[in-house]
Amino acid sequence: MGQTLIELKNISKTFPGVKALENIGFSIDSGEIHALIGENGAGKSTLIKILSGVYQPDSGGQIILGGRVVESLTPLEALQSEIAVIYQDFSLFPNLSVMENIALEQSVKNNDNLVDWKAMERISRDALDQLGISLDLNTILGDLSIAKQQLVAIARSLANNARLLILDEPTSSLSKNEVRKLFDIMHSLKNKGMALLFISHKIDELFAISDKFTILRDGKYIGTYGEDELDDEQLISLMVGRKIEYTIYPKNKRTEPLLEVRGFSKKGNFRDINFTLHKGEILGLTGLVGAGRTEVAQAIFGLNPADEGTLLLDGKEIINSTPNDAVKAGFSFVPENRLQEGLVLSKSIEDNISLTMLDALSGKSSLINLKKRKELTRNWMEKMDIRPNIPEMITSKLSGGNQQRVVISKWLATDPKVLIVDEPTNGIDIGAKSGIHQLLRDLAEKGLGIIIISSELPEILAIADRVAVMRRGRIITEFFCENITQEDIMSKAL
Amino acid sequence: MKTKLLKIKELPIILILIVISIIISVANPAFMTLENFLDILKSNLVLAIMSMGMLMVMLTGGIDVSVSSVITAVAVITGYSLMHWSSNLLFTILVAVLSGTVMGLFNGLLIAKLKIPPIVATLGTMSVILGLVLYITNGTWMTGIPEKFIDFGRKKLITFPTGDGKALGIPIQFLFLLVAVLATWFILRKTVIGRGIYAIGGNRDSAERMGFKPDRIIIFVYAFEGFLIGLAAVAHTSIMRQVDPNAFLGFEMQVIAAVVLGGASVLGGYGSILGTLIGVSLFCVINNGLILMHIPTFWQKIVVGLIIIGSISIDMTQKKRTERNKTRVDVE
Repeated sequence: MGQTLIELKNISKTFPGVKALENIGFSIDSGEIHALIGENGAGKSTLIKILSGVYQPDSGGQIILGGRVVESLTPLEALQSEIAVIYQDFSLFPNLSVMENIALEQSVKNNDNLVDWKAMERISRDALDQLGISLDLNTILGDLSIAKQQLVAIARSLANNARLLILDEPTSSLSKNEVRKLFDIMHSLKNKGMALLFISHKIDELFAISDKFTILRDGKYIGTYGEDELDDEQLISLMVGRKIEYTIYPKNKRTEPLLEVRGFSKKGNFRDINFTLHKGEILGLTGLVGAGRTEVAQAIFGLNPADEGTLLLDGKEIINSTPNDAVKAGFSFVPENRLQEGLVLSKSIEDNISLTMLDALSGKSSLINLKKRKELTRNWMEKMDIRPNIPEMITSKLSGGNQQRVVISKWLATDPKVLIVDEPTNGIDIGAKSGIHQLLRDLAEKGLGIIIISSELPEILAIADRVAVMRRGRIITEFFCENITQEDIMSKAL
Repeated sequence: MKTKLLKIKELPIILILIVISIIISVANPAFMTLENFLDILKSNLVLAIMSMGMLMVMLTGGIDVSVSSVITAVAVITGYSLMHWSSNLLFTILVAVLSGTVMGLFNGLLIAKLKIPPIVATLGTMSVILGLVLYITNGTWMTGIPEKFIDFGRKKLITFPTGDGKALGIPIQFLFLLVAVLATWFILRKTVIGRGIYAIGGNRDSAERMGFKPDRIIIFVYAFEGFLIGLAAVAHTSIMRQVDPNAFLGFEMQVIAAVVLGGASVLGGYGSILGTLIGVSLFCVINNGLILMHIPTFWQKIVVGLIIIGSISIDMTQKKRTERNKTRVDVE
């Protein structure tokens, strides 16, 4: 192992209302591949953004870089300190040539007025040679495969003399072969003395390539371990040891099928999805972000129709090719991002709740019956306990929990048989979360079938009767949510 | 390799140009004559000069609908300057490019600093400038351009003798086009700011992260476009020998049509000088063909609109297709 390249001490980051990182401290050596591990929301992305200077950490922490001690980095300092991040989108230019993508940054940094095409060619050729790959320098980047674009991004960081290369889930859109090639390249960079910080959710990959693991959980530093100090199971239990703060509802086995999904497949989204949702049941759909959960839900709701497969509702085949079909058939979908997709924030509670009901409220005249609308709104606000109880209130002024209730009311107003909720408690406080949980349970008791997508395992275990675990576009397994632990689920999801 | 690729990229539209030329010349043999070609060149020089500026604007992902008003205003200022200040050629060019640059700068500042969407900003500028021009000129033609300047406008670069004693030639104004093309080529190909224009059109956030200053680049692009419009105004005035405040009504559509026909993307990032010049040629040939085939002029407007909608539709469908083919989940 080489010497310490960068050391973090007491790094914290607070966003309004949320502590994203708390007292993180660890170091990365040159010539090592260091894995950064944690569940969704553990704080990995925030940490990367601090290292690349996009975020400034709270004061009180230290970043020690090549003997220099600083409180925070700016993007330029990060660049000059030779820290390069390869994000999942690569931050490249699809319309420029491979050569320019690799070497243009040099000209900008040198404040050149004129382009030195010969120098660019030399720099990019050098960088690609170091990686041991050959690419036509004049190819337009957008014409290359994702894997090759990624290599161009790595070559660019080499051209910038990066000493710490941060790879954010670099294998997520690569084939097995391409992953192997990438790992070869990572190894050769490591042997040249570069430090690599590697983020991945795939356990086999982590063990295949990493020298050290640093584990984060809920924004806290859990520990740094050598690759020989841990096995898969220990790693998973360190990642997921999250406390459960929720009321656990009793689980029921239901038998009357409501919705059957048979052989759902969509290229590049998911494959061969099969499950049954019963009447009065809450079915959890979990897995890592990017496992295809939302894509499946959207397919059922007609937002992202599947290429093949059938959907049976109450035993009858239905086809949801648009959300309109789905609503008519008796589906409701509460999207993940309630602020962008679920609500018209600048409008009142009344306007929002009645939005799905405009047809029913207007009748033959095509004009909205305002009296009926008021009635409907009052009804739902009482039933859903939305506070303050003022239908004219603009929804942007409500708390997160109450906003979520408005969204759910809006979708319940259509009298659905199946309710799909995507991360319903994201970004709302514990009290409001429990309220939403209670609400979903009550709805299920009344016979509604509910599919809940959540990354938060304690939440799934608290309210779902069964859980289906997805990984890379497939349903890997199903559990009945009794006597199982977070580890059981996570070991399948990874 | 490089030039080979470039050729392939622009090949389809070159083929279309050839096919259409053949169709028109079959319909009317007067098309394939030197005289007609020189005529097309002369009457479309201004369009070609302005297409260079529009190309740059569109590379950044912007658009400029004020070009017709700006060239009208610059032509009026140029005419006034010729009649009242000096008929010196260099002075005239200076006045024209300066006033064009100032107006472009104004657009650039609105777009870069106030973050007004380009179409809205330039739509506003278009109306304001046109209103001012009509107020000042009362909409009447300015005649009485000094003989000295008119003589300059009659000059030919190269003349070709014809059988019947008349002499055909490449108009002197061709030099303005040459300057515009070379300047645009130099900026786009040889300067870092020129590569920045492509970079911000391709991925603005990354360009900024890399150290480019998008605001400055955008202001520069609109100012340079104004500069080129200045050149175009001088060329135009020397060809027409008078200033008609209504000559350019709706001309912005023609410039935009020619540029998108040349393969530039309205979404920014894609487009080349060669492509644009071919696009302009194709546009001119179609227009000329419509005239030679005695098709009523309102058809030209319809054709311009269809060209814009057609070219952009192709652009958008291609983008949609690539989006759709992007894998969202790595399915096991």
